[in-house]
Amino acid sequence: MSPKKLPNKNKTQRSEGNSIPWRYCFLTLACGLILVVGFFFAARQHFSSIDFGIKNSKLRKQIEELESSKRRLILAKEIALSPAEIKKAAQKIGLREMTASNIEVYRPNADSTEKPIEKPKVEKAVEEKVKQVGSAKSEEIKKEDQKPEKEIQAERKLQEDKDKANKEKKDKLKMQIAKK
Amino acid sequence: MMKRTKKAAKKKNPLQTTFTRFMLIVAFFILWIGAIGVRLVHLQVNQSEWLRERAQNQRRDQLKSRMLRGTIFDRTERTLAMSVKVKSLYADPREIEDVELTAQKVADVLKIKPDGILKDLREALDGGKRFVWLARKVDEETVIKLNLLLETPELKKFDLPKFKGLYWREEQKRSYPYKSLAAQVVGFSNADDVGQAGIEQSQEEILRGATVKRWQDRDRLGRVYDEEEIENREPPKDIVLTINNSIQYKVEQALEKGVKASNSKSGMTIVLDPKTGEILAMANYPTFDPNKFNEVTPEAVNNRAIQSIYSPGSIFKLVTYSSAIDSNSINPNGKVDCRNGFIEVAGHRFNDPHATKVMSYGEALAVSSNVAAIKTGLGLGKEKFYGYAQKFGFGQPTGIELPAEARGQFRSPETWNGDSLASMSIGYEVGVTALQMASAYSAIANDGVKVKPHVIKEIRHSGGNPFFVTEAEKTPLVSPKTARSLRSMLREVVLKGTAKRAQLNGYTSAGKTGTAWKFNAKTKRVDAGKYVSSFIGFAPVDNPSVVIAVVMDEPKGGARDGGQVSAPVFKEIAEQILPEMSIVPDANVVQDDLMAENIPSEIETEVSLPEQIESGNISGELSKKEELKKVAKPSVENQKSKAIKETKETKKEVKEVIKKEDKKENKPPSEDKKSPKPKSAVLNVETKNKSSTGKGKKKT
Repeated sequence: MSPKKLPNKNKTQRSEGNSIPWRYCFLTLACGLILVVGFFFAARQHFSSIDFGIKNSKLRKQIEELESSKRRLILAKEIALSPAEIKKAAQKIGLREMTASNIEVYRPNADSTEKPIEKPKVEKAVEEKVKQVGSAKSEEIKKEDQKPEKEIQAERKLQEDKDKANKEKKDKLKMQIAKK
Repeated sequence: MMKRTKKAAKKKNPLQTTFTRFMLIVAFFILWIGAIGVRLVHLQVNQSEWLRERAQNQRRDQLKSRMLRGTIFDRTERTLAMSVKVKSLYADPREIEDVELTAQKVADVLKIKPDGILKDLREALDGGKRFVWLARKVDEETVIKLNLLLETPELKKFDLPKFKGLYWREEQKRSYPYKSLAAQVVGFSNADDVGQAGIEQSQEEILRGATVKRWQDRDRLGRVYDEEEIENREPPKDIVLTINNSIQYKVEQALEKGVKASNSKSGMTIVLDPKTGEILAMANYPTFDPNKFNEVTPEAVNNRAIQSIYSPGSIFKLVTYSSAIDSNSINPNGKVDCRNGFIEVAGHRFNDPHATKVMSYGEALAVSSNVAAIKTGLGLGKEKFYGYAQKFGFGQPTGIELPAEARGQFRSPETWNGDSLASMSIGYEVGVTALQMASAYSAIANDGVKVKPHVIKEIRHSGGNPFFVTEAEKTPLVSPKTARSLRSMLREVVLKGTAKRAQLNGYTSAGKTGTAWKFNAKTKRVDAGKYVSSFIGFAPVDNPSVVIAVVMDEPKGGARDGGQVSAPVFKEIAEQILPEMSIVPDANVVQDDLMAENIPSEIETEVSLPEQIESGNISGELSKKEELKKVAKPSVENQKSKAIKETKETKKEVKEVIKKEDKKENKPPSEDKKSPKPKSAVLNVETKNKSSTGKGKKKT
């Protein structure tokens, strides 16, 4: 570097000389800023990706857990639906097993010449008798219901008096036996 | 000069100085960055693999897990076997600070003594082990309890349980929700999820879940932030069986009752659809619960229906007669002379005490005449008989998709003795499985076409798309005409012969009983005290929907004939499953108390029951009457007869009341007393009204 080429101390020279470092400074600063922003951006991306990854794996685990609990529920349902369990439940509510003897044959042509299967005569007689007994009992109950209250009260009093008299008699007898 | 140089030095331009300094700094930075670059190149080129491994070890875990084993469904999509994820607790003893406290805490939740856990942990510590199982395949509730109890708040650990040195590992547990239902068919898998019996064993390849390897990246807190599957394996497939859980349950119930009633050693039952060859039920008793596979005995696991070989006895006469009819060796409407009551072949005398007259082949089969069957077999000849038996599939496995199926025993004619053909005609010198016999009967029920029995309906992907669907393999054995003749002959067996207890309420049925002595391997002779009693039948007769085979091994409760021991089980099963299968009743509903054995007058007069009941070739039998007197009825029948008795008693009481009232009113006795309807008439009605009731639908 020859001394001739060196800048002079005048103003213009000074301004020219000062302008170079400022430019460098700005450039460096800009680069530095871009670098820092870039670093921040990359770091943010990195940490957010890790964050998403963690959330993702949590959700995946949750799905797996839900699926396995779904399977467990299916298993529980199957256990509840097993014939042995159903039979127990049915017996609890008073259902009977279905067999051919429990089935009534449905005949779609009611007007056809085929006669319906007649019940054995013993069964018929039994049913009639049950009906008769049932109706007689129900009539008695009805009659009792129709009685006026006064009559019922009078009957009750009579019954109570009788009971008292019976008790007294029994007590007297007991006393006599004890004395003997 | 000195002054000049000093002046020159003093006159140094400051800008130049700045520039120089700047350049120095730049040079320093270049050197620094260069050094870093060199180091980076060194690290990334020369040491990259070592560093990658080190980094991965710090943050990565390799996880090995097995896919859940495939599910086994029945034909109605009910689950017979499925796997669920469960957790197992293990410990790294080196990390545990207080071994005693840990053992105590874990034992408290598991409700066990801590001594065992403590011992395991100490042994592992002494041995330098880093892995000890503390509790395997724990249920969800216990897992939550353990996590809560073992929580250490100050510990920085992401995974549960938050306790130093304890970890959960995911495993799978095989569950059988229907417990012992179809246990021998479904089988079971052991603790390592390897099939040990049944479908679980035979379809191991299809059901087994592949092992999957996964990478998990974790941060410094142990949180997983990235996962990667190393290998993509195809998930296991699901299997749909032809078994119907409801039918299976009913069959098992009936079989258990039958075995207990006859005091048999064991029993087996097969329900088969003759048209498709699908096995609707296959039951064995005694049975086992596959959920408790540690407690099972080999006897219970054994699927006798396909693994046990026995002499079939009279049920094998079906093969003799069908071969003879199909080859026109006999006319089914023709007659056979059984007057002697015995037949002698190659010096061996075969007694037949219950057939001592000239009778039709139908009658001969109905009373299970040995003489008639032997004559038929001899008339057919060795080669033809052997040929037909081969066609029916005896001496070879049926090919069902279950493990360890027995071939049976059927020797070639070259090895036969002089009396072998006669013996084989009545079901001796032959070893069969129950499935082989059921398959033979299903061929007759299916107009002479044999359909290969199978138990797998389809195999499908876990998503539900079918991967393989079983198609029926059909083989014609005998002509449809022969099959029809045999069906009507077998119907006679149920109506008039040895299988009256197989008469159904509401449906027509046909079949054949068999009672055979068991072969004693030690003495190499048949054991006169041990029997195999069987009945194979189908219903409805005109259009059979099911073939049911019932075999009882060594019945000891007095009753031992197939007609007494196995036929009632057939009846109970058929009456329950036919309505469930929406089969329209083809006969009148007959009351339970009109069973043949409850109507002695009918037996003696109208039905003309043989004097001695079905016996195979057992000599010196009791007469039917004596049997009925001496022999204790099976409990199924006992229960029914008890119920009938009770109803009769109540009816009697009511009748007496009616009589008394009639007397009081001076009325004649009621009509039912005047002319009691003969019970036998109802049985006759059952056969006459077959066609008229066929139209009706069932109503429950």
